[in-house]
Amino acid sequence: MGSMTESLAAIREALPYLLHGSLVTVGLVIFAMALGLVIGTLLAVGQVYGSEWVRRVVLVYVWFFRGVPLLVLLFLFYFGLFTLFRINISAFTASVFVLGLISAAYQSQILRGAILSLPEGQMKAARAMGMSETQCILLIILPQAFRLSVPGWSNEYSIVLKDTAVSYALGVMEVMARAHFVASRTYEHLPLYFTAGVIFLVLTYLGTKALRIVEERVRIPGYANR
Amino acid sequence: MSEKKVILRAENLTKRYGDKEVLKNASFSIREGELKILIGPSGGGKSTLLQCINFLVRPEAGRVWLDGREVLYHRKRELYAYRQKVGMIFQDFNLFDHLTAVGNVEIALIHVRGMDREEARTRASSELERVGLREHMEKYPAQLSGGQKQRVSIARALAMDPVVMLLDEPTSALDPELISEVLSVIRDLRANGMTMIMSTHQIGFAGELADEILFMEDGVIVETGSPKKLFSQAECQRTREFFLKIVEIYGESR
Repeated sequence: MGSMTESLAAIREALPYLLHGSLVTVGLVIFAMALGLVIGTLLAVGQVYGSEWVRRVVLVYVWFFRGVPLLVLLFLFYFGLFTLFRINISAFTASVFVLGLISAAYQSQILRGAILSLPEGQMKAARAMGMSETQCILLIILPQAFRLSVPGWSNEYSIVLKDTAVSYALGVMEVMARAHFVASRTYEHLPLYFTAGVIFLVLTYLGTKALRIVEERVRIPGYANR
Repeated sequence: MSEKKVILRAENLTKRYGDKEVLKNASFSIREGELKILIGPSGGGKSTLLQCINFLVRPEAGRVWLDGREVLYHRKRELYAYRQKVGMIFQDFNLFDHLTAVGNVEIALIHVRGMDREEARTRASSELERVGLREHMEKYPAQLSGGQKQRVSIARALAMDPVVMLLDEPTSALDPELISEVLSVIRDLRANGMTMIMSTHQIGFAGELADEILFMEDGVIVETGSPKKLFSQAECQRTREFFLKIVEIYGESR
């Protein structure tokens, strides 16, 4: 029983420190997903509407960032490329950058699927009214494709969230790094990693819940459960 | 009576998909205020012809003139400007699903014709009123019936002030009892002098209102003439057979 009390005490003591880390984790996720959204959208549009050449570039990009392990990419960029080109950025920024580039590969495929699922007639009708290709994509295709992508993003969010823990390897003080830091000093491994796990579960829950609300908000009236 | 001027003229439009020629040297012209109706079996090239006219489908060969000026459709700007003047109605409506009825009508007014939002809203509302959809302006396509959707799409096309309209089987996807509400809108357009090319299986409607019927099969305009001539004394054997059959199915009158 004594150890139980000690565990609880350890959790209570470390909790503010860990929760502070969860802000870093949330920051990583939000910035990485935002970057992934911007690049992913360009990739998806390029893959669906681009020339043969553009399509090939997108395929290589997706193949690369989905194929190389996260840890390898983090080291490759942070210790390798950024050092080589004398780009001086923080470990946090570097992690956002790499997580964002990876997420872009996945998000592009979510969005691409959504674009391809739209009826062909949407584009035809827009073109028939004198819209340029760019206008058709921006005004007609993307607003619909984004709506269809929300459930896919929910999934992507939970993956990126978990991936942020790896940025610990670069020294970013997010939840995992803080848990490890305290655990290695106090030897309270079980309660600390347990708490870290719970924090991730809560963040997953909150994020997917938020995206559910977004999904409801942007739903087109009349479509029951599309 | 003085002859009205030719609004649209197409010459030798040809379209191939691989080895298959789906449109073979189709030529026709249409004068101001005329209604020409394309009739023929499905897969005969009616839809391809209509979509080649506004270059939604790129023809391999052929030329098109609007108001006496050749359409240089390889130039993007010219193509976009031309399409604004040629309204198109599709069989399955193709309303923009993420926009309300009024949103569907005003989007091109704002982004293609550069109207400000208020002006576009006013124009869009009056077009929807014209097709009897005043009460449904704020509804989304999924909340409208097929007939209502098609009327929104007609309002959307009309808002652009087209000089000619292409209607690709506008009633074929509709439940029988909804067909008449769309046909009556088209009838009004005709009465107001809109120039239209329409493909349809509504033989009664064609007989009643068409200035000319074009019978199409296998990508060829087989025979052209007044409804009276094609219904009763077509020159071509195949045309006669087709009309005999279609009258049997759809009835002489609407």
